[in-house]
Amino acid sequence: MTPAERPLSPHLQIYRPQLTSMLSVTHRGTGLALGIGTIFFVWWLSGAAWSAACYGAAQAFWGSWLGKLFLLGWTFSLFYHLLNGVRHLLWDVGIGFDLRSTYRTGWTVVAFSVLLTLFAFGGGLYAWMAP
Amino acid sequence: MRGSVAVRHWRSQRISALALIPLALWLVESLLTHLGEDRTQIRTWLGQPIPATLAAAVVAVMFFHLALGVRVVLEDYVHTPGRLAAALVANRVACWALALVALGAVATLAFGF
Repeated sequence: MTPAERPLSPHLQIYRPQLTSMLSVTHRGTGLALGIGTIFFVWWLSGAAWSAACYGAAQAFWGSWLGKLFLLGWTFSLFYHLLNGVRHLLWDVGIGFDLRSTYRTGWTVVAFSVLLTLFAFGGGLYAWMAP
Repeated sequence: MRGSVAVRHWRSQRISALALIPLALWLVESLLTHLGEDRTQIRTWLGQPIPATLAAAVVAVMFFHLALGVRVVLEDYVHTPGRLAAALVANRVACWALALVALGAVATLAFGF
């Protein structure tokens, strides 16, 4: 049976970008990025448990520029997904669902994600470099 | 998803999200503190009962939540039924495998095998 040609909801490319939709897409994107991150986390953890060579390779990766860039991305992803997740949980119980609150909490999530990322990543780098 | 399955998925995603609020914060704090350490230090740290228990909890809830989230994304973007079925199975297998390896590693460190 051929499915009927039904109208589709607007796709991302058609939709005019706005804060609400961008934050929604970012929630998914950061979730997926964190999913990729878990593979690196398991690599590091397995190394700690079973293989010095594997652990050394993971440590070398965190120490590289690419590794640090990934860590920065995952730090932001985690804070963003966490804060925006709380926003979603509040919506689920009916809090902040009007347009004004949605924009206000949206910008709050963006601001705090950036701040917490800078704070945590900066602190981590400092602890790492400190003798 | 069938109705009852969808409701359970929705509820599981929210409950695991709530559990991950404190667990994720603990994970960030731990990784920032311990990521630069050498292997002996990590083994000592995760050899203690509380960090090992929290690490096991993070692993279990994190992969549970990840599997639920990736499932929704796959259902939204994979439109061929056969391919979707295969992708959903692959998602579950990958999340289970990663979770089991991680739990095995935590257990090894915790019990000092």
